Amino acid sequence: MNVVKTRVAVSAMVFCLMSAPTLAEDLRVTVWTGNDAHLKMLNGIAESFKENHPDVIVKFETVPVSDYTQKLTFQVAGGNPPDIAWMMEDAAPAFENAGLLMDIGPTVKAAQGYDFDDFSQPAMALWQKGETVYGIPFSTSPFMIYYNKDMFDKAGLEDPLALAAKGEWTLDKFQETAKKLAEANPGKWGFEFKDGEGYASRMTHALLPSIRAYGGDIWTNGQCGFDKPEAIAAVKQLHDMVFKDKSIVPPGEQGDYFSGNSAMTDNQISRASKMPEAGFNWGIAPLPTGPGGESPVIGQAGLVVFEQGKHKELAAQFVAHMTDKENVATMAQFFPPARKSVLDSEAFINGNKLVPAEQMKNVSSAITKGRVHPAHEKAPQILAAMAPRVDALWKPDANVEDALKGVCAAIQPLL
Amino acid sequence: MAAVTHTNEPGANRAPWLTLKYREMLEAWLFISPTFIGFLVFFLGPLVAIFYYSMTEWNLLSQQAAFVGLHNFNDALLVNPDFWHVVRNSVIFAVGLVPFNMALALTLALALSRPFFGVVFFRTVFFAPVVTSAIAWAIVWKFLLQGEGGVINQMLALVGIDGPNWLRDPNWAMAAVIVTRVIKMVGLNMILYIAALQAIPRDYEEAARLEGASRWQIFRMIIWPLLAPTTLIIMVLTTIGSFKVFDHIYQMTGGGPENGTLVLAFYIYQQGFKFFNVGYASALAIIMFVIVMALTLVQVMLRRKEME
Repeated sequence: MNVVKTRVAVSAMVFCLMSAPTLAEDLRVTVWTGNDAHLKMLNGIAESFKENHPDVIVKFETVPVSDYTQKLTFQVAGGNPPDIAWMMEDAAPAFENAGLLMDIGPTVKAAQGYDFDDFSQPAMALWQKGETVYGIPFSTSPFMIYYNKDMFDKAGLEDPLALAAKGEWTLDKFQETAKKLAEANPGKWGFEFKDGEGYASRMTHALLPSIRAYGGDIWTNGQCGFDKPEAIAAVKQLHDMVFKDKSIVPPGEQGDYFSGNSAMTDNQISRASKMPEAGFNWGIAPLPTGPGGESPVIGQAGLVVFEQGKHKELAAQFVAHMTDKENVATMAQFFPPARKSVLDSEAFINGNKLVPAEQMKNVSSAITKGRVHPAHEKAPQILAAMAPRVDALWKPDANVEDALKGVCAAIQPLL
Repeated sequence: MAAVTHTNEPGANRAPWLTLKYREMLEAWLFISPTFIGFLVFFLGPLVAIFYYSMTEWNLLSQQAAFVGLHNFNDALLVNPDFWHVVRNSVIFAVGLVPFNMALALTLALALSRPFFGVVFFRTVFFAPVVTSAIAWAIVWKFLLQGEGGVINQMLALVGIDGPNWLRDPNWAMAAVIVTRVIKMVGLNMILYIAALQAIPRDYEEAARLEGASRWQIFRMIIWPLLAPTTLIIMVLTTIGSFKVFDHIYQMTGGGPENGTLVLAFYIYQQGFKFFNVGYASALAIIMFVIVMALTLVQVMLRRKEME
């Protein structure tokens, strides 16, 4: 009988130990990247958080970029949001307006040595309303021209970096160069829009750099800008490049830059992590200038904390840790900083393992001068309304002006 | 003595209400409960819930739902012009796909129902796409159907035909999606027809041949009528499948160009999963359910009449 009692007592103790709340706390952070180099760096930051919070385990969860906002929304709707999310600029206003994001201002400002004012004001514009801080920009990444140096050499052409240094890297030169590159590399293309998605999910990213270089914008203050003369001129030039020069990868074709099928593309500095596997010599240069002068475009992502989260305060503390000066400097190799002190530092210019200092200076300059891609709380609806009109634009015999007026007619009610 | 024997009988200590009948019933419920609970939670529950959701204006992001009665149905059927455009696309897709799929499936089945050297190989070739991942299939076809670099157009160029940019040309995108879908799914219907053909007694055909019937007469007067039940099943399943098509559209055209392939299932996905208008998307799903149900009933009635 004693044996039975002992067994019951031991079993009860084991059960109690198993069911007792664990002391360690998990923080879930959703990110779009699954790149090994990125995750290694992020996990390093999570490890350093343990110095002051030894019981906290931070887990980064990768959600593919194409479904990122959608899956995040469903996690929120299902009552299981992550504690922290990496949020892209186009999704931020909708989440903010729905009251889903925590004001992390008091926590980050109180963090030791944080220096909140170090963040550049233009970079904070999307994430701050008055004194309320909805997020901290952690990647303020300008669009740059990536070029395949081998294809330029084969065509006997000066590369965009050299042309930019001489002040000759204009949209006209870009058009001329892309055409010569396509001619010199049969079966390949001179230029590919960002991620090969310029006719689909990245339709605004494809048009925005040129439109801004002409002095226009896609929309500002609730007014559509596609039908303005600057935008029409810019898009006409791109249209000619696609259908007359046949130098830009056209709709329905695959011409991946990273596989060596296009000589140039526009993308952000985080994509540099893909370049060591590309197998060709490469470089990055500023976007070409236009009649409106220099007008760099910035894509931005911020770290946000969800109101519904189980560990809100702790999550805000981790955001403060992840965006302190030291960690922002660490992440700057892939995710350009919004902190002025890091942006101006020699370490940012000289410390990138993949991009030489000469090219990083252009990145730094583009962040300082650039403007963020316009955001809107109805971004998905705007894109869906634009899609059929943009399809009509990307046809060989399209009337560009009429097609762009069609775009404005479709999206103006939503703006 | 008798009492001792009685207490040793199996089940002597059970509760008095647990008769053999109840015990068998309990066991039966226990056996089916894993599937039944799954059916309740993952099928019946959402099915009932969708009727309620369809009468709400529910934004997933703000998590605010308001009861709006039949407003969403009114919006879809009478106000929103996109809806009828989308229904039109779905009907075009079904009208293009169902006869093409069935005719091809029957032709292949007639060719491959009799044993000959290599028949298994050919059946496998035509059935293999059915078990291939739909997304992988669509991605491969997207490459093959490229405007200039695509294999299809390069082959057409060899015979002097300048092929269109299949998936970007509003005149061709729907046709391209239908054909690739038929090639993917025809193997399933082919197998159903082969099974039905093999079930037809050879005596009928032989007797007809002895009577001097031609091959066409044998097919028209004997085989085709005997295939009627299978044809009905295939027609209903293919029609339902054509209205539910999503993966092909998602991967190959995204509903474009110029909304030319924006079909009902994809439109529901767009409203629910992109714009997070769950109430409106639920109403659309119910409308789709009614359309498919009505079409199925019409087909069943027509075939019954024909068979009578």
